[in-house]
Amino acid sequence: MSTVSRVAQRVDEVPFLERGDASLLLVLPGLFMFSTFMLFPILYLVGVSFTNAKPSNLFAGDGIASILTFGEATFVGLENYVTILTDPAFWNSFGITWLFVATSVALKIALSLGIALVVTGERVRGKRFMRSIIIVPMGLPAIFTITVWRGIFSSAEFGLANQVLAEFGFSSIAWMSQRWMAFLAYNVTEAWLAYPFMVIITVSALQNVSDELHEAAMVDGAGYVARFLHVTLPSIKRPVLFASILTAAASFQQFLIPFVFNEGGPARANELLILYAYREAFSFSQYGQGAAISLVAVVIIGAFMWLNVKRGRLADGVNEA
Amino acid sequence: MSLLRSVGRSVKEDTKEALMVPVDLVRGVGYTVDEVRNGRMSPVEPVKTLAITLGALAIVLTLLFPLYWILMSALSGSGGSIYSSGGLRLLPTDVSLQPFVWVVGDLIIPAYAISLNIPLTDLAVVFNTPQVTFLDASAHGVESPSGFKQFFVNSMTVAIPTVLIAMSLIVPGAYALSRREFIGREKILFGYVLLTQVGGGLGIAMLIGLYTVFVQLGFNDSKLALSVYYAATAVPFNTWLLKTYMDGIPVSYEEAAIVDGAPPWRVVTEVILPLSKAGLATVFIFTFLTGWTEFVVAQTLLGTENYTLPVGLYSLISEYSIPWARFSAFALTFAAPLGLVYLFAQRYIEGGLSFGGVEG
Repeated sequence: MSTVSRVAQRVDEVPFLERGDASLLLVLPGLFMFSTFMLFPILYLVGVSFTNAKPSNLFAGDGIASILTFGEATFVGLENYVTILTDPAFWNSFGITWLFVATSVALKIALSLGIALVVTGERVRGKRFMRSIIIVPMGLPAIFTITVWRGIFSSAEFGLANQVLAEFGFSSIAWMSQRWMAFLAYNVTEAWLAYPFMVIITVSALQNVSDELHEAAMVDGAGYVARFLHVTLPSIKRPVLFASILTAAASFQQFLIPFVFNEGGPARANELLILYAYREAFSFSQYGQGAAISLVAVVIIGAFMWLNVKRGRLADGVNEA
Repeated sequence: MSLLRSVGRSVKEDTKEALMVPVDLVRGVGYTVDEVRNGRMSPVEPVKTLAITLGALAIVLTLLFPLYWILMSALSGSGGSIYSSGGLRLLPTDVSLQPFVWVVGDLIIPAYAISLNIPLTDLAVVFNTPQVTFLDASAHGVESPSGFKQFFVNSMTVAIPTVLIAMSLIVPGAYALSRREFIGREKILFGYVLLTQVGGGLGIAMLIGLYTVFVQLGFNDSKLALSVYYAATAVPFNTWLLKTYMDGIPVSYEEAAIVDGAPPWRVVTEVILPLSKAGLATVFIFTFLTGWTEFVVAQTLLGTENYTLPVGLYSLISEYSIPWARFSAFALTFAAPLGLVYLFAQRYIEGGLSFGGVEG
């Protein structure tokens, strides 16, 4: 009798498990590791958010036991939540985050729909080649792309954005030290980071639009614009909506762009929510409040997941096979 | 290696096709000219097609211009200025590879003296290996080269354990999820997909918790702890990816093996694993990239001497004394190989880099 079947027999003896459930053992290591590094920090975050944790007291105790007591930090109840919810800086960050989600998603959809229409256009030659090089940015590390775009929006002599402005006769702009210029720079960079993903999904949706519908519309005398509005758009609505929810979640969680560009500046005006939590903890030593802000973000990310389950077809693949 | 052979075959076909492009183009143009001359086609048509294609090409090139600009900045001594008194300047002036020399630094294998004592005598044979110089930075006018090599070694010591740990967690899990029926299977899959697609920033959101735990356990600044963390975060996406790949292997192969009397483990090692080579290669690339490109957690946890490449890249931008050309060269040396691997894998690993359940 092999070990495998002995294990299977043991499993059989547990009341709610069956013999075949022994295969669960193959999945459990991965699941366990993931939970250790994902769920445990979240539970810990919940704990920290109820204390007055600062580096001085949080890291004070020694030994494994001090993890469970949060060092020497003391329990303060909901104080951190009251503090952040009455702090105008929090609401500023909250507002700018949602504004960023709105503007960047609009920009991403417009840009990628435009590109997708171009690289599937009837008269365009060399479409396959264009499609394969247009998605190159997807293969580049985010930190590379973002540092390069920081260079583009730099006020130094090499800054590409200012060079282009100068070419058209405008005066140069100090991108990173003006709030809305920095915000614009964030949006452009986010759009460039995310367009390959959106283009891939939109192109495959466009290729599924039935030719018969187009031909029928042409027979009825519909022009290009009318066909786009009444045939193409309704057919690609679902996949594009699905991609938009995903990319909205990505925009909401954007951290690297403001962090690398100017640390959410000028004067903390553009700190997106996750960066705000990060800076609150690591730059201003308010671990308790940082944790509370992070949890607000986690709850909203959870809402995005729920939205995905309801509106997207995310889970369809699970029941196949 | 059948995978390598099939990749080789598709590379060959692609090369042949690419070489045929100009020939086809000339033929197509000739055909169109004939048609127009004979009056079978209105001359407006080809002009329209040409104009629209050129427009599309212009859009594509504009989009990718930042990449061209960074390459030009790295190559030109002037440091990426496209603006000059004579209008736009799109080709690098005074091309120099010196920034790349600064990035790579010295490539010198130092001389060693190896001495062998001959037994039972007092004699010893001493070999002096010569010093092998591939690249001497100071000969190219570079005084203090960048820390690229150190960062590279650090990144390797993070990425390799990440791959090993992640693969040993992902492969059994993906197999079980694809081929076995057990309690909670659908719930686990569902959770994996959900976390994969939406929860990219969860890692940063819980960074405060992670950092605190790591510091209290004394794990901060430990590259091994970092790779264990990376491996854990790579589990959901890659398990899902490999599971979808394995779903595509026909069950009849396994049945045939079972009929021939193969025990379960041999079905796995001789049917499933060899047939999912492309999937395994993809998961390998993705898990490696997790360790190679992650920035935020590495930046928070690691100390200066353990910086990985992304953190090293970031640390350059706060040093204002670094010329832009050198920065560009550093960034390109870091990212260009990854971009090429991505393009290559995208094209040649069949069904590999598709988006699991996302497409459509």
